[in-house]
Amino acid sequence: MAEIRLNNVCKRWGKVSGVDNFDLHIKDEEFLVLLGPSGCGKSTTMRMIAGLEDVSSGEIWLGDRMVNKLEPKDRDVSMVFQSYGLYPNMTVYENIRFPIKVRKVPKELHHEQVMKAAEMVDLVDFLHRKPAELSGGQRQRVALGRAIVRKPTVFLMDEPLSNLDAKLRVSTRAEIKNLQFRLKTTTIYVTHDQIEAMTLADRVVVMNLGRIQQIATPTEIYDNPANTFVAGFIGNPAMNLIKGTIESGVFSAENIRIEGLPSQHSGPITLGFRAEDAELKEVQNAINAPVYAMELLGDSSMIALMVGGELINIKAPKDFRAEIGSQVSIGINPSHCHLFDAESGDRLSQDI
Amino acid sequence: MTHKTFFAFIFPSLLAMILFIALPIGSIVVQSLHVEHPRVLVEVENCGPFGCERETRVDTAATQALQEAQPMGQFNGLGTYFDRRHLATEEVSRIFSDNEGVADIARQMYNLPFYKALSFTLVYTFIVTPLGMALGFSIALAVNSIPRFLKGPIIFFSLLPMIVTPLVGSLILFWMINTQGVIGSNLQLLFDDPDLSLRASPLLTWVTLIVYGVWSMAPFSFVVFYAGLQTVPSDTLESAKIDGASRWERIRYVVIPHLIPLATFVALVQLMDNFRVFEPIVGFSAEANATSLSWNIFNDLRGQVDQQYSSAAATSVLTVFGVVVLLMPVLVRLWRDFNRKA
Amino acid sequence: MEQTTVNRRPLLLSTTSSLFLVLWLIVAAFPFLWTVWGSFKVEADFFSRENWQLAITGLNTIGQTGSAFTGDGYQGAWIERDFWKAAWNTVIVTVSVTAISLVLGTLGGYALARSARRYTLWILITALVFRAMPHITLVSGYMLPFFEWNVWGALPTAIIVLVAINQPFALWMLHSFFLSIPKDLDESAMVDGCTRFQAFRQVVIPVMWPGVITTGLFSFLLAYNDFAVTAMLLNQDNQTMVPKIASFLGTVQTEGAVMYAVAAVVSATVPLFMLVMFFQRQIVSGLTAGAVKG
Ligand SMILES: Nc1ncnc2c1ncn2[C@@H]1O[C@H](COP(=O)(O)OP(=O)(O)OP(=O)(O)O)[C@@H](O)[C@H]1O
Ligand SMILES: [Mg+2]
Repeated sequence: MAEIRLNNVCKRWGKVSGVDNFDLHIKDEEFLVLLGPSGCGKSTTMRMIAGLEDVSSGEIWLGDRMVNKLEPKDRDVSMVFQSYGLYPNMTVYENIRFPIKVRKVPKELHHEQVMKAAEMVDLVDFLHRKPAELSGGQRQRVALGRAIVRKPTVFLMDEPLSNLDAKLRVSTRAEIKNLQFRLKTTTIYVTHDQIEAMTLADRVVVMNLGRIQQIATPTEIYDNPANTFVAGFIGNPAMNLIKGTIESGVFSAENIRIEGLPSQHSGPITLGFRAEDAELKEVQNAINAPVYAMELLGDSSMIALMVGGELINIKAPKDFRAEIGSQVSIGINPSHCHLFDAESGDRLSQDI
Repeated sequence: MTHKTFFAFIFPSLLAMILFIALPIGSIVVQSLHVEHPRVLVEVENCGPFGCERETRVDTAATQALQEAQPMGQFNGLGTYFDRRHLATEEVSRIFSDNEGVADIARQMYNLPFYKALSFTLVYTFIVTPLGMALGFSIALAVNSIPRFLKGPIIFFSLLPMIVTPLVGSLILFWMINTQGVIGSNLQLLFDDPDLSLRASPLLTWVTLIVYGVWSMAPFSFVVFYAGLQTVPSDTLESAKIDGASRWERIRYVVIPHLIPLATFVALVQLMDNFRVFEPIVGFSAEANATSLSWNIFNDLRGQVDQQYSSAAATSVLTVFGVVVLLMPVLVRLWRDFNRKA
Repeated sequence: MEQTTVNRRPLLLSTTSSLFLVLWLIVAAFPFLWTVWGSFKVEADFFSRENWQLAITGLNTIGQTGSAFTGDGYQGAWIERDFWKAAWNTVIVTVSVTAISLVLGTLGGYALARSARRYTLWILITALVFRAMPHITLVSGYMLPFFEWNVWGALPTAIIVLVAINQPFALWMLHSFFLSIPKDLDESAMVDGCTRFQAFRQVVIPVMWPGVITTGLFSFLLAYNDFAVTAMLLNQDNQTMVPKIASFLGTVQTEGAVMYAVAAVVSATVPLFMLVMFFQRQIVSGLTAGAVKG
């Protein structure tokens, strides 16, 4: 059990930069999720914490130890790999026992610990099987069992659910959450699936191109994205982002005009709002555009409109119908709008 | 992996290669620049009952002492490379200034040991490699279309010529083509020439050695090409069929392009192996009519009375040079790939 | 049935192809069968001046020994000419070379497969060049130093030299086998508490057996089939089978003694027969493993 600190950690391969200036403080017992698109450096960050990749510069602290120079085995971490990394020549029992065996835990304790871990991940009936004779979900649980058989300082999980089918993913997600709650071990979890991040995390770190974009609780990230990248990455559908200009609190672009916004900004700007924050009503102050397409999702209808040169999505009640090409009017409460710098994409302060 | 771990793992292997491959190559370069000491001769007066005689004798002790002082021999510079047994620069320039046409040049050059060996080595390498590959490819095509249960045994027998010890394989064939062997005597019957012997003329000897080479090299190409044929994309083959390609066109436009990378690999390996041709010459006792670079080195080293280390070393250096030239295209390609990546 | 009509080959083509295969089988296998058969005859039959058919009928064999088959050649080679000793030396040499090659090769091949640095490429290229060196050129570099150090002629010398000569090949082959084993495996072992070496020993090697066996087979073949090194570096007492057979050729003058060589050749081929019989799959996979990667 310990907190983890990463101080300005960088990873470079020659001229290629994998992780850039990563600064993060993870609290004890926290469930932290690294979220970002493929290739953004999530795995690299995690592998540096595990010691599988050297750090180019910066420091990694696990508890009160600076671990930069330590071998993986001396860092006292457990890791679940995307492809599980199970030992194919060993049975499930031997796989789970391996970490305590090589760490020279007294022999007489092995059986008890293995059985305890196996019970936690519900594998007692499969202990004598080889990994090749298990289903994907069972293999996944073996990897989890192997991680929890001893009490490490940190759990590291690199996209552990990505090889499972959608249904299994939901139930295993719950299992992982429950397991962490019971074990209270600090956990770092890598994923590119935002739903996983939102449901599991105490805090989420959103990454892009090797840099941290935002560190916050899931709600905070959803409600107050720090920049256009986060806004466009989180949420399904992602936040609508429209490029236009603002002048004394009035935002305008093709087919859109919104009044009542903070008035301290002027000039080009990006305006963001979520599909569900729009209301279908006849108002002056809003979007007036022809319908580009309609998607019926069952619990709601999604209207696509062309606004400011971009396709945006508006959530409408499930019984709403409109012909393609017919004109609709949509109102947006200015307090639900987010303003971003047109150049850097950073969030602008919204105090009026 | 850290540098330290990497070198800890690779050290034993690297050490073995440095000590027993890199150093010997260095050692032959140095050795080739030296020659053996001449024997120290002394004149002694030998007086017997029938009077005295002056006689020249080898002073064994003095020769030995010289040998011990400088085991490598005397420094000779590039002398060994240019002498008659190697590049023979003098003889070659004489042949070129004084000859009776191309055929005569060829004949005279062939009398120089190095060029004799070089010509056979090159001819062998560049005939056996393509022929072996062609035969192997044909076998692969034929085996590919026979019923499954026959494939195992056929592969078994096909592997034998490749796997058998080269010296043993060549002896087996040699005994058969001997005038007293089954093939040799049947050829005599066939051509109705009781003196026909495959070893008699250089041409026949070369042909025999090349046939042996193809026999022993074809299985390798066969196995690799056969494995390659199993991975030909069947979708492409089927669409070619639908597009109306004939059997030959399908081989020409689908199968062969698929096998080209494999063929490059096979050609590379076989060039390397054929260039060192040596055992068949011993096995067929063919040295009178055909020698190879490797055989020349072997012959220099084997000398019962005095081993010609320097001569062997010079031939070795020239052979290594040949190998590098042969590998050049591959090395250049690796180098380019490497630079593109960097 | 549909399938077969679509795939049916023209009769002419399939006949030619079958004939060709039969012909190749005869060419590939007949020399071996003939020599095995002939090794049980006397010289006057197998190397008959009058009629080659004597080798089949064995008239002289019956005349000289009273039966159509004789083990005289084997008896002469193995007992009179001490071929058993050469066979025993071959066992020592091949077993040691294979074992040591595999130990060094797996360690090195693993390092090459798991390190992504530039020097790995250089080592592999150098190994390729070394692989192409004719063995006899290297041998000429050993002779003088080995005489100087007084290690010429001993079995360990030849073993170490063969191991070194075999290293480039073993490194390439094992390196490509290791590449096919996911990195996750050793990484999870290291996180679980292994050192790099323990991960290699306890986790990677157990799943590497097919690759190790295949490479071992080819290392064995190299040591077994070698003539250049063993002929030049071993003294009379330590000779292995192949140079021993070569020495039969030089010295055999007496009538019938050439049959010793024939018997020795057949004896030396039998283990290879067995090898192909039991390990055909591995040999084929080994030959193609290099091709697919290279
Ligand atoms: N050994 C390496 N050499 C050079 N570049 C590398 C190396 N390993 C990773 N990279 C690069 O570093 C970046 C980050 O890789 P990383 O594996 O951390 O991505 P990721 O966020 O885990 O992506 P994914 O979701 O696809 O797993 C990628 O652009 C990758 O190409
Ligand atoms: Mg990843």
